[in-house]
Amino acid sequence: MINYLTIFFIKILNIILKLFGKNGGNILGKMALKFNKNIFSHFKVNCPVIAVTATNGKTSTNNCIKYTLSNAGFKVVSNVEGNNMDTGILSTLLKNCTISGKIKADFLCFEVDESYVPIIFKSFRLDALIVLNFFRDQLDRNGEVETLILKIYDFLKTYNGNLILNNDDPNVSRLGKANPNNKKVYYFSVEKYKYATETMKEAGEGKFCPFCKTKLVYEYYQYSHIGKFKCPNCGYGDNKIYKYAYNINLEKRCFDVDGITYSIPGNNIYTIYNHLAVLAVCSLYNIDTEIVLKSFKDFSLNNGRSEEMLIKNCKSIINLAKNPTGANVSIRMLNENETKKDMLFVLNDNLADGKDVSWIWDINFDKLNNVDRIVTSGTRAYDIAIRIKTAGFDENKIFPFLDMESALEKLYETSNIKYIIANYTALQPTRAALKKFNN
Amino acid sequence: MESLKILYLYPDILELYGDYGNIQVLKYRLEKRNFICTIDRYSIGDDAPNFQDYDIVFAGGGADNEQSILATDLIKYKENIKLAVKSGTFFLLICGAYQLFGKYYKDSNGNTTPGLEIFPYYTASNPDKKKRCIGNIVIEATLNEKKTKVIGFENHGGQTFDVFSPFGNVLCGNGNKFGDKYEGFFLDNVIATYLHGPLLSKNPDVADYIIKYCLERKYNREFKLQDLNDEFENLCRKQLLDKFLNK
Repeated sequence: MINYLTIFFIKILNIILKLFGKNGGNILGKMALKFNKNIFSHFKVNCPVIAVTATNGKTSTNNCIKYTLSNAGFKVVSNVEGNNMDTGILSTLLKNCTISGKIKADFLCFEVDESYVPIIFKSFRLDALIVLNFFRDQLDRNGEVETLILKIYDFLKTYNGNLILNNDDPNVSRLGKANPNNKKVYYFSVEKYKYATETMKEAGEGKFCPFCKTKLVYEYYQYSHIGKFKCPNCGYGDNKIYKYAYNINLEKRCFDVDGITYSIPGNNIYTIYNHLAVLAVCSLYNIDTEIVLKSFKDFSLNNGRSEEMLIKNCKSIINLAKNPTGANVSIRMLNENETKKDMLFVLNDNLADGKDVSWIWDINFDKLNNVDRIVTSGTRAYDIAIRIKTAGFDENKIFPFLDMESALEKLYETSNIKYIIANYTALQPTRAALKKFNN
Repeated sequence: MESLKILYLYPDILELYGDYGNIQVLKYRLEKRNFICTIDRYSIGDDAPNFQDYDIVFAGGGADNEQSILATDLIKYKENIKLAVKSGTFFLLICGAYQLFGKYYKDSNGNTTPGLEIFPYYTASNPDKKKRCIGNIVIEATLNEKKTKVIGFENHGGQTFDVFSPFGNVLCGNGNKFGDKYEGFFLDNVIATYLHGPLLSKNPDVADYIIKYCLERKYNREFKLQDLNDEFENLCRKQLLDKFLNK
């Protein structure tokens, strides 16, 4: 009875919030959990539930799955707006269920915060879990990466559903060994791309074999610790690959899988990994290749994930970077473009960003390719300016401003192409400021 | 041309919080003044270094798991390190490295890892893993009889006891223990501290103290360091000291 009442109450609350033009976000879920902490087990779901987790790429990948499945004609319920903790996912479920807790959909797909995977799915259906990567991320909030991985590993010991894993991340592919009885483990991998390196170029985690503690040997690194690795002692790393992307062409923005060329709007290596994961899911659920091809070509997430804007007639590419790897792949994108450019780095230290900005020293600012000037902003504009100066960039060409308006004035003094990197709480204010500035 | 040689210990393991930043800052401030800076790296499996050959030895913090792997390696060099400390090589030790140079480290499960016993302090982790000293921290240190405020960030579960000569007085934050008055461990040629990551980037006074000490020791004469353009550093310090101390 309490479940019906909870759902009834939440539905009313949702209507009231809507009247006031509010989306609800996590609030509905928060309230529901207060009434009944076992509410997750009450929902009746008769369709596949797909979840994506990772340090980086959750939102893009989940949205791309939702987009592709919708294009295939399915009704998909998803937390596309990115509320990825228990309360956010609960809010999505509550908005889309009947009063008896039934969810009418062909697929549920969610992005899930890494630490909430075991919490949510201990009592909620899960048919496919995609794990993209694990990087260091806001250590003062999240703790060490290893602790997080072990929690998911423990959860997977009794999980028998589809498990789609990035074989090129030693911290991810190890999860495939959590339950030796699970026959539905699928690995994906990407062929060495043009800018792969023989040594690790950016901070990374995968140094030792998780099973025998021997130092892992890498054939190459794509970015951070993602690459082709093997344990010289126990052989860990050798898995049968379910989906393999090759002929990676960033200029033409395409890659091949199983003899078919897929075009995507993004031109960076991590986007290829994200799309390959989506492709693996689509293949497991028999989605028509033509629909996947078309969806990949059209899909774009215009919310600060490699988003291209035209500001004052200047091409501006804005990318979210919450952690060193996120920032390093943004710097890679910038370096892989030969034209003269300016950079804006917006760094905040609000609670949701993590108060500790030490991670900026793990960003590889050495040898920036044809960068003319760098403007910095955000609550820690000076910290990032010092970081960039120490990396050897001419201090006379670095301009720090605590306020965004002055930063944008300075940034758009030239007509160079702009690369804008913003961390978590800086992203949306930066996008808003850019739009305002453009008008 | 005068030069300094830095030994960077376990760069592939003790690098959790952008610790390399400290080496970059030292190198930057040396090279801007036309000194030569060479950096050697040592990690597990490399040839044994002679610590006394170096002017500065730097070691940072790492993840618990990886830190225990290297503790057994480092202990091989105990006597060599002792000699280097005695002969005046400068040691900059952050977080995990600070703990490893003490008597022992007792983790939250009660397991004890022996330290190098170079210094007489010891560290015990809080049994409640969730209780850590995390946050911005400002301490006041005295370097060459001059007081300076040192700004950093701490994130440690370990509580360090029996420090007879701390690095500084805590102005905001925790320090060696929860709510402690003192932070770190200091000798003329040793700074061991919980202020992790790129400590020197916001504290050019500390960086220059180390550089001056090492040059004077090596060349046995007085050095007056040339002023550098610290505009960003000064702006940053002013902003952060206002923010952290006047809250």
